Amino acid sequence: MEIRIAPQMSLMDKLKILTDAARFDVSCSSSGSSRQNDGKGIGNTLAAGICHSFAADGRCISLLKILFTNECIYDCRYCINRRSNDVARASFTPDEVCELTMEFYRRNYIEGLFLSSGILYSPNYTMELICETVYRLRTLHRFQGYIHVKAIPGADPLLIQRAGYLADRMSVNLEMATAQGLREMAPNKHRSNILRPMRQIQNGIEQNRNEITLYKHAPRFCEAGQSTQMVIGALPESDYQIMSVAENLYDKFSLKRVYYSAFVNVNEDKDLPAPAAGPPLLREHRLYQADWLLRFYDFKVDELLTEKRPNFNLAIDPKADWAVRHLEQFPIEINRADYRSLLRIPGVGVKSARRIVAVRRFGSLTFEDLKRMGVVLKRALYFITCGGRMMYPTKLEEEYIVRNLAGQDPAGKGEKLFRMTDGTLYRQMSLADYGVQTYSQPTAGAAI
Amino acid sequence: MEEKYIICEDSLEGIFTAVYDAYALREKHEHIHLLTEEEDNYRLFAVYLHSQPDLVKTNKVIKTLRSRLGNEVYLALCQAAASFYADKAEAVYKTITDGITSGRGRRTMDDLKNPYVARTHELARRTANEAHKEIEFLRFGELEKGVLYAKIGPENNVMPFIMPHFADRLSPENFLIYDEKRNLFGVHPAGKEWYMVSDAAGAEACIETEPVWSDRELRYRGLFTLFHDAIAIDARRNTRLQQQMVPLRFQSYMVEFRSK
Ligand code: SF4
Repeated sequence: MEIRIAPQMSLMDKLKILTDAARFDVSCSSSGSSRQNDGKGIGNTLAAGICHSFAADGRCISLLKILFTNECIYDCRYCINRRSNDVARASFTPDEVCELTMEFYRRNYIEGLFLSSGILYSPNYTMELICETVYRLRTLHRFQGYIHVKAIPGADPLLIQRAGYLADRMSVNLEMATAQGLREMAPNKHRSNILRPMRQIQNGIEQNRNEITLYKHAPRFCEAGQSTQMVIGALPESDYQIMSVAENLYDKFSLKRVYYSAFVNVNEDKDLPAPAAGPPLLREHRLYQADWLLRFYDFKVDELLTEKRPNFNLAIDPKADWAVRHLEQFPIEINRADYRSLLRIPGVGVKSARRIVAVRRFGSLTFEDLKRMGVVLKRALYFITCGGRMMYPTKLEEEYIVRNLAGQDPAGKGEKLFRMTDGTLYRQMSLADYGVQTYSQPTAGAAI
Repeated sequence: MEEKYIICEDSLEGIFTAVYDAYALREKHEHIHLLTEEEDNYRLFAVYLHSQPDLVKTNKVIKTLRSRLGNEVYLALCQAAASFYADKAEAVYKTITDGITSGRGRRTMDDLKNPYVARTHELARRTANEAHKEIEFLRFGELEKGVLYAKIGPENNVMPFIMPHFADRLSPENFLIYDEKRNLFGVHPAGKEWYMVSDAAGAEACIETEPVWSDRELRYRGLFTLFHDAIAIDARRNTRLQQQMVPLRFQSYMVEFRSK
């Protein structure tokens, strides 16, 4: 293909501009692929993924996350790179991206590449550039590390298929939870243009699975699956709407991950929210916790939220919130409860639930044993008995427990609570709410 | 009955040899204890024995552990033995005797009600966590002839647990990892098996002199540091969380933090 890119800018300057421009894509995961080195090139991948550094905002850096170009023919309202903005523009060449990826990877700076892009000339032209870059990485440089690429909405299905055979993961961003919201925020994008490649990738993965059962060495198509991202808090969507969409994406599109990105009003758009205290990070955090409950704790969205109660209680995590509203199911006897019930206890994570099931075969467990197994007792104590006894006498009463749990929640610490009309205790919101938290996305083993 | 203390070298070989020697005494295990260092205060009515690391004994112990307890338990024992905590030899020894006498085999590590097993578990977990952190945070620099070189300073002896990872990933590269706390080198010649050397003289050279980096090295350090700065979202700034995720003792070995 002919590549029309101005070469004059230094690699330093390009990297600065095209990293800046890529920051708002939250995905950074390098998980889902497990591949040993074949001895012919550099690289391998681990199923669990690896973080290599953490940025000043506390987010993990796993992949070289850059845009191929920040030129764009579209004009999305939330995006710094939109056509109508007067910002410095730059584009890499495929060889420059290869050089950065290979040299960073050898030094153990990164796990691989996450290549996204603004839309240069047309969706097809852009998708072709992405394919060409990744093709050179895989063949010329024999790179066997992790590659995540964006499927550009509106690009030819053949190009998307080609990318899928080169990448570990692909993603198309849903951007907004509702089609209406998308129309408002991204006038050039259409919901159908986003769902179409998503469906294509899903089908590609399923087909590939069959090919692999028939023929072990069949080339892999998006082995690490696909992910997407929604912007949170730009429009007045409820948590219930957002989580229902996420659940659908997991169930109907077999997505591996849905990411939530707290809206940052980079374009100082007067019609969009710009909270003085910064982006809604606490809400984003609760959504990630709820997402975790869907994927690993066997919860359904309808158990967590309803039309009448469409938003999470910011004061406590969604699992604790669920538990205090279902006190009739507690306390749970640790020595007898089945695995699924154990998972529903606040303070018991996937790892500790498994350990409880394994260890109690050797004799009945005490609170001391639970502590050693990683159960967070100060959270769990309201909900469990060990050998018929509670850890100490405590009230099984919603308000009392919420107050205590909110006091311990790293995100909701020491906040005042007040009562909503439906009887729920909420945290008093203050200006400092969004600026001072020290939490991150939950990690695999964390007990929530 | 008098207590016996076997003092052994602080290494996997040292500890496994001492386990062999402890069994060879044919006495009750509860009266035998393993130590990796001489005690400051010798106890009256206690016998102190010295055990010298021995490859034949070590291999016999390894063979028994793998067949009787399985590879997973064996790995946990190795990780615990690599710990920097002083009570590791005793924990490992008593976990082995518990696993073998109880016949729990592969499920030995599940017996968390036994304090020695719980301790071995804890020590193994710490070593494994630190090894994982080094796999994440270790940074190679390129020396003159294209050899990659990394310096680390882990609390536990993680080298044997990180070398296989890098040897697979960087199989066409010549690389060298240097543990400055133990004067230990992990060496990987391109396309060949990796090995470890403990070399005091070589170590001294590594401490004394800044290595001669290749011409391109500074360019990529600069590029990565720039990337690391540019990727952060100012509106979400949270350096406390950053420090929680990358503890300071790792930061001092990482290019993107060192240049600050
Ligand atoms: S398509 Fe929209 S979101 Fe993507 S770069 Fe262009 S303006 Fe930004």
